[in-house]
Amino acid sequence: MNIVLDNVVKKFKRGKGLRKHYITACDHVSFTIEQGELFGLLGPNGAGKTTLVRCIATLLIPDEGKITIFGKDIIYQSMEARQQIGLLTSGERTLYWKLTGKDNLKFFAALYGLAGKERDKRIDYLMELLDLKDVESERVEKYSSGMKQKISLARALLHDPKILLLDEPTLGLDPQFSRFIRGFIKDELVGKGGKTVLLTTHYMDEADELCERIAFINKGKIVNIKSPAEYKDEIPHTEVLELRCQGNVNEEKLRTALSSIKSVEKVSLINKENDLALKVIASRVESILSDVIELVRGEAKILAIDVKEPTLEDVFIYLTGTSLKEDTREEQPDALE
Amino acid sequence: MRWNRLKADLAIIGAEIRKTAKIWFAYKILMFFWAIFPLIWVIPYLFQGKALVGGMSSAPFAQLTGTENYMAFVLIGAMVSTYIFSGLWGVGNSLREETYWGTLEYIIASPTSLLVVLIGKTLAEFLYATVMVIFQATLATFFFGIDITFGKIFPLMMIIVLLVIGFYGFAIAFAGFTLLIKEVHGWVHTLEWVFFLFSPIRYPVEVNAITKLVSAFVPLTYALVAIRAIILLNKSVINLWQILLILGVMDIILIAGGYILFNRLEYRTKKAGTISQY
Repeated sequence: MNIVLDNVVKKFKRGKGLRKHYITACDHVSFTIEQGELFGLLGPNGAGKTTLVRCIATLLIPDEGKITIFGKDIIYQSMEARQQIGLLTSGERTLYWKLTGKDNLKFFAALYGLAGKERDKRIDYLMELLDLKDVESERVEKYSSGMKQKISLARALLHDPKILLLDEPTLGLDPQFSRFIRGFIKDELVGKGGKTVLLTTHYMDEADELCERIAFINKGKIVNIKSPAEYKDEIPHTEVLELRCQGNVNEEKLRTALSSIKSVEKVSLINKENDLALKVIASRVESILSDVIELVRGEAKILAIDVKEPTLEDVFIYLTGTSLKEDTREEQPDALE
Repeated sequence: MRWNRLKADLAIIGAEIRKTAKIWFAYKILMFFWAIFPLIWVIPYLFQGKALVGGMSSAPFAQLTGTENYMAFVLIGAMVSTYIFSGLWGVGNSLREETYWGTLEYIIASPTSLLVVLIGKTLAEFLYATVMVIFQATLATFFFGIDITFGKIFPLMMIIVLLVIGFYGFAIAFAGFTLLIKEVHGWVHTLEWVFFLFSPIRYPVEVNAITKLVSAFVPLTYALVAIRAIILLNKSVINLWQILLILGVMDIILIAGGYILFNRLEYRTKKAGTISQY
């Protein structure tokens, strides 16, 4: 087993003085990832995905539990563990913008013990592989977001690690670059390279397309671990009712009212500036349609109604009652002042 | 195995120095500023001296310091303090910069001790501060009659190296502190004023009993006394062996303390989960 997490707990301090309290970002998390596996962590923002990745990458020290990489404890044998890991996070600001792409890679190569011809050969290979050869001598500040992410990916691969931790690797990228990164992960890293990949995402399509097994994570807890197909088999319904509405609604009131309809099992409601996205999972959508419309019409203007096949997100809602699009962001600690 | 680790660490230090230099050179306006800064930094001291003592020297001043040359006294203090504070600022701020650039997490996630990277940053700051101080010393020699002959260079370098080693031990601890508290400006300025008050940068600490007492615990005091003794009183380094010894002992304490403190603060930051916060 490449990565083993055993009862990992991470808490963050919030508030000061009498208001001081702790929030649990990872709550007794345990799972293992096998060699060559593409394992996904799927959950809404703030579910604890990034905290877990940071713990595995030795950037955070867990409060309880144990993490091992190829049997090496990430606390007591951190150098050996780090040598096996390549890290890629989302966001543009992870590189030296005033340096060229190549100079960025040269600096990080030194941190992984690469030097001289071996380093230059590796950088040339990665630049070629990621189609960055033409821009390697340009400063990173001139790169597009997608190109910056490609350089970050090259950095993660510099020392040819056996494990890759990819934290929301396509977040904020345009569809073309997202497609490239997804294809690269599937074909090059796992397909040809045989790498073990831990991918965190809140894009259900991404997880569905790429991952062999997915751990659903919500509020710091692992809800379930299965393959995408197994998850979809788990939901005992074939249809999900989706409504898009507009209006200033009392969310709790509407949620309670909808949940009280007979045969409704789960309701997900996301309200962004009076733009309402509603999902209702029920055993028979047809039979509840008129009741749902009547209830919603009293609160908001209905713009669209659709009946769809369940996706991974619907399974997530079914299991947790939370949508992947919700922001449950609670996992950041307070800075010391 | 150990040799390979040392070789790898030296390569990292070299890479850090090259990276820091490239980023400096990318900011052309800053280069221009630092090129002209040494030309204007002396003017306030010149005016201050003229206003206080009416020229470049003062007889009452000699009673406290052993030299009449007030301007030379202050300029040496200014040069050495600029040297030290630019280093303190640079090293203290360096990890904050890495956080701002979003690169700190990637450095920490690599199989390298953050301390090795910090040593690279320290040396880069040291080289940069050295260039600045050489420029300032050249100006001081030509325009203010400060006598830095060839024979004085080696003893001066000995004292400066001893001072710098201790100060960078302090700066490394300070870098760890900034990693945790995410603030540099206020702390550097506070420290600056503490050093200005309790070491003979601008005035002889003997003027006040408290400053004299506290200054005995500040390495800068010993370094300034020795540097001034060599430049202004033409003393030999052999006569200053006690000062060298004190500086050496302080270096050991500060480097060991800096190392221990940095590691503890790094651990605490990782535990608190604030490493990537700016």
